Amino acid sequence: MSENLKKIEKITSSKYKYGFITNIKEDRVPNGLNRNIVKTISKIKNEPQWLLDWRLKAFSHWEKMKEPKWQNLNYPEIDFQDLCYYSAPKEKKKLKSLDEVDPELLKTYKKLGIPLDEQKMLAGVAVDAVFDSVSIVTTFKETLKKAGVIFCPFSEAVQKYPELIKKYIGKVVPYTDNYYAALNSAVFSDGSFVYIPKNTRCPMELSTYFRINAANTGQFERTLIIAEDNSYVSYLEGCTAPMRDENQLHAAVVELITMDNAEIKYSTVQNWYPGDEKGVGGVFNFVTKRGICHKNAKISWTQVETGSAVTWKYPSCILKGDNSIGEFFSVAITNNFQQADTGTKMVHLGKNSKSTIIAKGICAGKSNGSYRGLVRINKGATNSRNFSQCDSLLMGDKCGSHTFPYIEVKNNSSQVEHEATTSKIGEDQIFYCNQRGIDTESAIALIVNGYCKDVLDQLPMEFAVEAKKLLEISLEGSVG
Amino acid sequence: MLNIKNLKAQIEEIKILNGINLSVNAGEVHAIMGPNGSGKSTLASVIAGKEDYEVTDGEIEFESEDLLDLAVEERSNKGIFLSFQYPVEIPGISVSNFMKTCINERRKQQGLDPMPATDLLKLMREKMELLNINSGYLSRNMNEGFSGGEKKRNEIFQLAMLNPKLSILDETDSGLDIDALKIVANGVNKLRTENNATIVITHYQRLLDYIVPDFVHVLYNGKIVKSGGKELAYELEEKGYDWITKK
Amino acid sequence: MSLINNLEKYSKTLLLSTEEKNDLNSFFSSGFPNISDEEWKYTSLNKIVKNDFVVEDLPVFDEDNIIDKVSLGFKNKIVFLNGKLVSSPKIDGITISDFKSFKSKTNNSILSLNSSMARNGFSIDVENNTVLNSPIEILFLISSTRNTFLQYRNQINLGKNSNLKIIENIHSIHENLAFINHFTQVKCDENSIFEYNKTQNNKDNFSLIDTCNIYQEANTTSSVNTLIFGGSFIRNNLNFEQNGENAESNMNGVSVLNGSQFADNHTFVDHKKSNCRSNEVYKGIYLDKSKGVFNGKIMVRPESQKIDAFQSNNNLLLSDESTIDTKPQLEIYADDVKCSHGCTIGQLDKEALFYMKSRGLAEKEAKALLTYAFTNEAIDKISVPEFKDKCEKLIAEKLNVKLDFNH
Repeated sequence: MSENLKKIEKITSSKYKYGFITNIKEDRVPNGLNRNIVKTISKIKNEPQWLLDWRLKAFSHWEKMKEPKWQNLNYPEIDFQDLCYYSAPKEKKKLKSLDEVDPELLKTYKKLGIPLDEQKMLAGVAVDAVFDSVSIVTTFKETLKKAGVIFCPFSEAVQKYPELIKKYIGKVVPYTDNYYAALNSAVFSDGSFVYIPKNTRCPMELSTYFRINAANTGQFERTLIIAEDNSYVSYLEGCTAPMRDENQLHAAVVELITMDNAEIKYSTVQNWYPGDEKGVGGVFNFVTKRGICHKNAKISWTQVETGSAVTWKYPSCILKGDNSIGEFFSVAITNNFQQADTGTKMVHLGKNSKSTIIAKGICAGKSNGSYRGLVRINKGATNSRNFSQCDSLLMGDKCGSHTFPYIEVKNNSSQVEHEATTSKIGEDQIFYCNQRGIDTESAIALIVNGYCKDVLDQLPMEFAVEAKKLLEISLEGSVG
Repeated sequence: MLNIKNLKAQIEEIKILNGINLSVNAGEVHAIMGPNGSGKSTLASVIAGKEDYEVTDGEIEFESEDLLDLAVEERSNKGIFLSFQYPVEIPGISVSNFMKTCINERRKQQGLDPMPATDLLKLMREKMELLNINSGYLSRNMNEGFSGGEKKRNEIFQLAMLNPKLSILDETDSGLDIDALKIVANGVNKLRTENNATIVITHYQRLLDYIVPDFVHVLYNGKIVKSGGKELAYELEEKGYDWITKK
Repeated sequence: MSLINNLEKYSKTLLLSTEEKNDLNSFFSSGFPNISDEEWKYTSLNKIVKNDFVVEDLPVFDEDNIIDKVSLGFKNKIVFLNGKLVSSPKIDGITISDFKSFKSKTNNSILSLNSSMARNGFSIDVENNTVLNSPIEILFLISSTRNTFLQYRNQINLGKNSNLKIIENIHSIHENLAFINHFTQVKCDENSIFEYNKTQNNKDNFSLIDTCNIYQEANTTSSVNTLIFGGSFIRNNLNFEQNGENAESNMNGVSVLNGSQFADNHTFVDHKKSNCRSNEVYKGIYLDKSKGVFNGKIMVRPESQKIDAFQSNNNLLLSDESTIDTKPQLEIYADDVKCSHGCTIGQLDKEALFYMKSRGLAEKEAKALLTYAFTNEAIDKISVPEFKDKCEKLIAEKLNVKLDFNH
C-alpha cells in the first residue's frame, strides 16, 4: 500500500469519521469511484477488515475490466466516474399527502388495486396513524424466529453472522465473473440475507416488500440465500407493487446456495422505471443472478420483467449435484424504446440433472427483446436432460425479437431439446374476442396472459395477480 | 413349441411376473386375459426379449431351445413375432424399405441372397390384399401419422410378411372399431396353419369372437390363476374379473 | 514456417490491384480468425494454420483414371487438377470459363484472403431462359507430395427463368495436409431455380473452409445440400441474401463423422424482402471422438413482412467422446412473420430399436437403419437421384453396414 493511501486511510478512519456520517444524512458520498469511495462505504457500514479487503480486490479487478459489448443492447456510454456510489439509506422527501404524489404513479397504483395505505407507503408518504404493516412486520418476524430462519438486511448479517457471509459471499458469483458483478462487489450498498436451517420449510413466503427498512437499498443490491439440507424457501423479489425507482444504474448480484435436497424458489417482478414513451430516462438494469444446486437440490427462477429501459439479466443454475434440478420461467415485455437481453444459463455437472427453460418474450412499440441462453452438459453429467422453449410475440412492425441460444453437449447419454418460435399476435384471435364483445386492448391483454400462462402459473398467487395486471399496464398504448 | 416354466421377471425391482407356467403347441391359439396391470404385456415383452425386464427365475423354451440367452433379433429370426400394443413410429423409413430390410436381413442369416425387388413387391402386394390395404401405404413412413387401426393393420401385415411360427398379439384389438377388428382378425385367421401358433393377449372377450382360442388363461398378479377352454372367456365377460380375483 | 508466413512471402511475388492490396492488408492485420471471435467460438484453426504449406501454384498431375474413380459419371463435367481447369463442357446457353476476377463481400479475413490472392476457380454464366435438366458435375482434385494450401474463387450467374443443378466434390488424393479456402458467389436473377449439391468426403489430412454467398432476386428458389462424410476439419459458411419478393432459400445438411473429425456448419439467411421463405434442416451424427458445430441465423429485416422461416438442427451423439455445440439464432425486426427453430441432441430411440430387433434386425443394422431414417428428412430433398444414391451408400459405408437404403 502506498504512503498516500495509508494516509488517506488513516484520515478516513479517524478524523473524518463523523463527517462522513453527517454526509450520510445528506444522502451521498461524492460522485466517482476510487479506492477511497470503496473504503468509505465499508467504513460507513462498519464492516470487518476482511470484507473491506474483498471489496478492494473486487475494485482492482473491475478497474482492469472492460464493459461488455456482446449483448444485443444499444445505450449511451455510462460514465462510471459520474455516478454516486452511496446514496442510501436515502431519506426521501416526506410528502404530506397523496396529493403531492406524481399522478401518473397514482393512476398505476389504482389500476393495480393497491390499498390506499399501501399506496401512501410505496409513494413515500408519511403515514400518520400506526400503520398496519408495522404489526405485520412484527408478527412475521416472530414466526420466522421460531422456525430458526434468518431474514435480514445484508449489512445487518455482516455484523450478526459474519462467519456465514465470509463463507459464502462471492462463492457462486465471484467478483471476477463479469464487469457488473465486480462493480457490485466493490460498492454494494445493501440487500437481503436469508438463511434456512437444516430440515426447515420456511413458514412463509419471504419478500423484500415486508422488509421496509431496507426497501431503498439503492443501486447495488446484494442478496445471499442459503438453504441448508432438506430445507425450502420461496423468495419474492422486487415488490408486489411497482416501485418506480429512477436511479440510472442498477447492478445487483444474487447468490443462491441450495444444499442437498433443498429447494429455493426465487420469483421476481421487475418494474423499474422504463423511460417515457419517447425513450427518455429509465433504469439500466444489469443483474447477475446465479445459484448452485447440490445433490437432489432444486432452484426455480421465475421472472416477470416489465420495467427498465435496459435489462441485462441471466438468472442461472449450476447443477453440481446428482439429480439436481434447475428451472427458469420468464416473461419479458418490452414496449416503447425498452430493450431487454435476458435468459439463463444451465450448467449441468451432476448425473441425472434436469433443467427446464420456458421463456416468453413480448415486444411492442419500438422495443427490442432478446433471449440469450446457455445450456451446457458437461462430460460427467450422465443422463442429463434439458428442455427449452423460447417464444416471442410481436406487436407492431417497429419492434424486434431475437433468440440466441447456445447449446454445448459433451455427454452422449444426455438429451437436449430446444424450440423457439416467433410470431405475430393472432389477428383471428383478436377478431374472435372482438366478435364476442371484447375490445382490442382487453383482447390483447387476454391473449398475452394466456400466452404467458405457463410462466405466470409459477408465481405465488398474490404475486401472479399483480403480475397479470402489470402485463396489461405495460402494453397500454401498444395497439396502433 | 413354447414352454414357459416358473417364469419370474421384474423391472427396476418391481416384481411383475411371479411364476408363469404356459405351454403352447403348434396349431394352437391361446388367449391370455386379465385385468390391467396383471402382467399381460410384460409376458409378451419378456418372450420377445425386451431388455428392460430382468428375468429372475424360470425358463422359456422355444422349439426345445433356451430362449433367454438369445437377443431380440435372434428370437425374431427363430420365428417369434410380437404385434405391439403401441407400434413405434419411425419417421424417415418407409414401410416398403423397412420390410425389405427385415426380409433381407433374415435371408442373410439363412445364407440366402437378397430377395429380388420384383418378388418382394409381389409378396407385399399379395399380403396387402389379404388385409385390404391400399397401395399408397408402402411409401408412407413407418407408423408415422397412422391412425390406430392403420398401425394395427401394419403390424399384421408385417406378421404376414415374416410368416412367424409363434405370433403374440398384444392388445391388437385396442383402438380398433368393429370393421377394422374384423379385417385384422380375418387376416390373422387366414395366416393360421397346423405349423404355427398364436398367443392373443386381450382385456376383452370381443376379439375372441373372431379369433377363436383353443385355450384361455387368466393372468392375475403375475400368475396364471385359471385356465380353460373358450367358454372361460364368456364366463369372464359375464362375471367380470372380480369373479376370479376374489377367490 | 506457419501458413501466414508462407502467404506473406508469396504475396510479395504477386501483382495486386489496389483493391486486392487493401484486402490483403486487412487479412494480415486481423490474421486467421480465432476463438475469441464470436463466429469462431467453437472452431479453432490453430492446429491447421501453424503448419508449413506450399501456397504457390502446383503442377497439374496425371493419375490413371482418377477422374472416373471420383466422378458420379455425369456427362457435363468441369475438372480442376491442383487448381488448374483441365476440362469443361460446352452447353448451349451456358458459358463456362476459367477464373475471372470479380468483386465480392469481404466481411471477414477468410474472404479478404480469398479475394486478394485466389487465382483459380470457375465462372458459369447461364443465359436467360436456359433450363439444364442434367446436372453439371464439378471436381476439384488435389494431389501433391507436400502440404498444400489452395484457394478457389468461383462465380455462378443465373439468368432470368433459368434452371441449374450442380454437384461439387473437392477431393484430395495425396497423404499430405491439404487446406482449401473455397469461395463461390451465386447470383440468381428473377424466376431462376438453382440447386447446389456438395459432398465433402475426405481423409483426415484434409481441411476445408467453404463459403458460399447466394444472392436471390424475386421468385427464385435456391437450394444447397451439404453432405459431410469426412475430412479432419470442415467449416461451411452458407449465406443467403434475399433481394426480391417471393424468394425461397433451402438448406439441407447431413454430417456423419467419426474418428476425430470436425465439422462446423454456419448458415445465415437474410430476409430483406417480403413474402419470402427459408427452410433449413441439418442433421448431425457423431461417432467416436468427432465434434460438431452448428450455427444458424435467420434475420428478418424491418418491413420484410410475411416471412416464413423454419430451421431445425438435430443431432445424435453415438459415442461417449463425441460432442456438439449448437447455436440456432433468430433476429427478427418485422412482426408479420412465422419463424421457428428447433434443436435436439440425443440418442437413438430405444423403443424403436427394440421394435426393429423384434422384427429380426441385428443391433448394428437396426441402429444403422434408424440412423439413416434420422437423416432421411434432409436426404429426401436432393433432386438428383444419382447423387442421392451416392450419399446413401456413403452413409452405410460410414456406419459400417452393408445395407441398401434405397426405397
